Amino acid sequence: MNKMIELKLNGETRKIYVNDNQTLLEVLREDLGLTGTKKGCNQGECGACTVLLEGKPVSSCLILAVKVNGKSIMTIEGVAEEGHLHPIQEVFNEKGAIQCGFCTPGMILVTKDLLDKNPRPTFKEIKDAISGNICRCTGYIKIIEAIQSLAER
Amino acid sequence: MSDYKFIGKDIPRVDGPVKATGKAIYTVDIKLPGMLYGKILRSPYPHARILNIDTSEAEKLPGVQAVITGEDLREVRYAFVDTPRYPADEQPLAVNKVRYIGDEVAVVAADNEAIAEKALTLIKVDYEILPAVFTAEEAMEADAPVIHDEQLEGTSAWEDWGVAQKKQSHESEVKISNLSGHTAVSFGNVEQGFLESDYIREDRFELKATAHCQMEPHAAVASYDPVTQKLHVWLSTMGIFLKRYFLSKTLNLPASKIRVHHTYVGGAFGGKIDLFPYEFCAAYLSIKLGRPVKIELDREEVFMTTRQRHPIIVKIKSGVKKDGTILAQDIKVIADNGAYRGSGPVVIFLCHGFSFPIYNVPNYRYEGFSIYTNNGIRGPQRGHGAPQIRFSIDSHLDLIARDIGLDLVEMMFKNVRHKGDILPNGDRLNSCGLTEGLQGAAKAIDWKNKRRQFKTETENSRYKRGAGISLCSMFSGAMYYPFASAAIVKLHDDGSATLFTGAQDIGQGSYTTLSQVLAEELGIDMEDIHVVAGDTDLCPIDLGSFLSATALVTGNAVKLAAADAKRQLLECAAEILGVDNIEDLETCSKKIFLKKEPQKSIHFSQAIQASVFKRDGNPIIGRGSYKGYPETDRYPSLAKGKGLFTGAYGFAVQAAEVEVDTLTGKVNLLKAVTYHDCGYPLNKNIVEGQVHGCVSMGAGQALSEEVFLEKGQLFNPSFLTYKLPISLDTPESVEGLVATIEPSGPFGAKEVGEGSVAGILGAIGNAVHDAIGVRIKGLPITPEKVLRALGKI
Ligand code: FES
Ligand code: FES
Repeated sequence: MNKMIELKLNGETRKIYVNDNQTLLEVLREDLGLTGTKKGCNQGECGACTVLLEGKPVSSCLILAVKVNGKSIMTIEGVAEEGHLHPIQEVFNEKGAIQCGFCTPGMILVTKDLLDKNPRPTFKEIKDAISGNICRCTGYIKIIEAIQSLAER
Repeated sequence: MSDYKFIGKDIPRVDGPVKATGKAIYTVDIKLPGMLYGKILRSPYPHARILNIDTSEAEKLPGVQAVITGEDLREVRYAFVDTPRYPADEQPLAVNKVRYIGDEVAVVAADNEAIAEKALTLIKVDYEILPAVFTAEEAMEADAPVIHDEQLEGTSAWEDWGVAQKKQSHESEVKISNLSGHTAVSFGNVEQGFLESDYIREDRFELKATAHCQMEPHAAVASYDPVTQKLHVWLSTMGIFLKRYFLSKTLNLPASKIRVHHTYVGGAFGGKIDLFPYEFCAAYLSIKLGRPVKIELDREEVFMTTRQRHPIIVKIKSGVKKDGTILAQDIKVIADNGAYRGSGPVVIFLCHGFSFPIYNVPNYRYEGFSIYTNNGIRGPQRGHGAPQIRFSIDSHLDLIARDIGLDLVEMMFKNVRHKGDILPNGDRLNSCGLTEGLQGAAKAIDWKNKRRQFKTETENSRYKRGAGISLCSMFSGAMYYPFASAAIVKLHDDGSATLFTGAQDIGQGSYTTLSQVLAEELGIDMEDIHVVAGDTDLCPIDLGSFLSATALVTGNAVKLAAADAKRQLLECAAEILGVDNIEDLETCSKKIFLKKEPQKSIHFSQAIQASVFKRDGNPIIGRGSYKGYPETDRYPSLAKGKGLFTGAYGFAVQAAEVEVDTLTGKVNLLKAVTYHDCGYPLNKNIVEGQVHGCVSMGAGQALSEEVFLEKGQLFNPSFLTYKLPISLDTPESVEGLVATIEPSGPFGAKEVGEGSVAGILGAIGNAVHDAIGVRIKGLPITPEKVLRALGKI
């Protein structure tokens, strides 16, 4: 624990000590207990560890914790507000976009980024946006449908 | 059937919110106070004798708490199959020999992962490298290196659970090197059938190993309490009771001294049912050290050392009449099960089990061999044999249809089985939607127009399109430990209920569908149900989420438990309402009312109170149980294919339209159609989700997925190099439900989660042939194979 960093984590300013070689994923999961961010590969290839860094989706397993000093991070734990599911979370559930749920936090965060930037994405834009996130359960169809239905709102 | 309140409705998953908010706890998320971390030292050689292991330096490293090797565990044996014929051949850590690259050699438990990993580098192992063999056909040759030369006893850990210990020797009649399993089944007279045939054709197909790619890596946490002598484990698994059974046998602990705790499971697909060395070792180390131990595999280890789908060679010879009626079929299957038996004898049995329910072949001979090689271990994977055998049979049938100038769909109509058919082993098809499925799928893919087979116009376009179709089937549970599922429905003061089920939701939605069954049967609403599941102490036994048992077997148990609770409620209510016959009462939304005078009603809570006061304090607890297959009490014979297999077969008819780029060889799946006969669908949204997952996995296996092995070395153990489907590969998907009613299923339901991975392979293979006019007899159909087939490279 040799460096202190300060970050805005799910809207809250936090000061934490991290090692030089710790990834953001490790710090979130192991030190802060935010296990909603998943580790699927630890190699930057599955998207399960997606968080929003300054609003943009990144693979937290590829980012050293020391690099996020002074930045804002949103994890899946920060998406629901005041005990209410975020509309994306609600629709994912209603439309059957969740099965085992392991890819879900990452999928929801990339969806949030997509819809924040582009509230009416096309079919192709949706497919592109989630193309870095692997889901082995759903064949992506219901995830795409869920996002489409949000776009239509 | 449509006046159900919950059954068949698109009710959102009950575990959706906890998963959507990141609060669902998976095994990889478990962290206990004082927990140690285990890492595994693995063999770098495919086949070698261990001469010496020196762990002394590793043990000296500060932070290392224990190092164990095969020497500590010489006596421990277990396996997915453990019968007198097929004695257990796996050990948690290698004793004397290693048999594949990745075989477990030693485990270190340390204060953190970094120390454990460092310690691994300090362990010195001296190996004598042995000759190795990497394909099943080579391994079968007389002079092939012998992979298992140890003396395995013919005893079985399963004896106490229904496998008879036979006196006679189980030395196989078949003398083949490295044989791990043999299945031989026949009925009718195959030779005679061929003699009577107008046309005979023979083909050989080959399918490669594939990976499950569950998004949650395999992990185990074990915590032994020396005071109560109880072992607590958290496992990412599909069958908590089977795991407990394995652990109890291998650790020599009473089953009741092991508690498997609930966790969510980040995908399983068949690959989380065997007992794994990391699980045993976490438990063993925790007992040894009296501290919690976690072992989590990294992605490369998951690819290499958990399980893969069996690479299989299928040789088929069929004889048909001019009109396409199949008269005789002779099938040979060779499965490479890798370094240990895994599910080898099961997959060769199931290749038969998923071959014969589809077409009525009067003269049939099947022989399967599972063979040891120095590759990674192969185990169940979604469909378990169905993808391999269904692809082969329906590719072969398509070739025959083309040869004799018939339409494949017409030929399928002619040969498929029907409701009421009795299979040669005695299984009865009480529901079978193959014919309706064929009609639906052919229409949905626009068979007559999309099929090029009979079109004469030549096209010069670089892109060629074609259509294909294939059929598949799957069990709905079978007789395998623990042979049954039970459920408990506990009512609360306010009339709501807790469902206790040993079934684990591995993503397939069982907590939701089982809740629907309960709600419908008992007459309460979904929000009145709380599910307690996946815990061996709290929940009654359950077959587990494999062999597609949950909908039918566990579903029936839940339905019976709900009916039991309801009967008790109605008996109390009848007294209060002054009704003689409980048949005159009905329930809905926690109310009990007179069928004829619905305004006369009482709330569940009143009936429960009455029960407590008037019936020895009975607060109303419903119980139900259901056997894997009620009509039998034994395992089917893997070797002879005798005995009853399953109470209900699920079926699917799948069609595909593809576009082949003849310049690059790339096949694009444009449209995938699945007509699934899952009986009466409990939840359409969930059924569709299962079908989508199957189609995606099947499409991956058909077009891109392959574990690349070169002399036992895995070359693509990552998502970057192992090409599984991503969102951009998603085809247009059409699902049709052939809603049959399975009389033995809860509300008519049967399996849905596995079968339809299988038909899509043949559908794509046949579509590619239709598009380019050439057959590719191996999967996956990679651009390279296409270009080769087209003579372009
Ligand atoms: S865990 Fe970071 S991309 Fe897979
Ligand atoms: S829901 Fe299981 S990986 Fe996406």
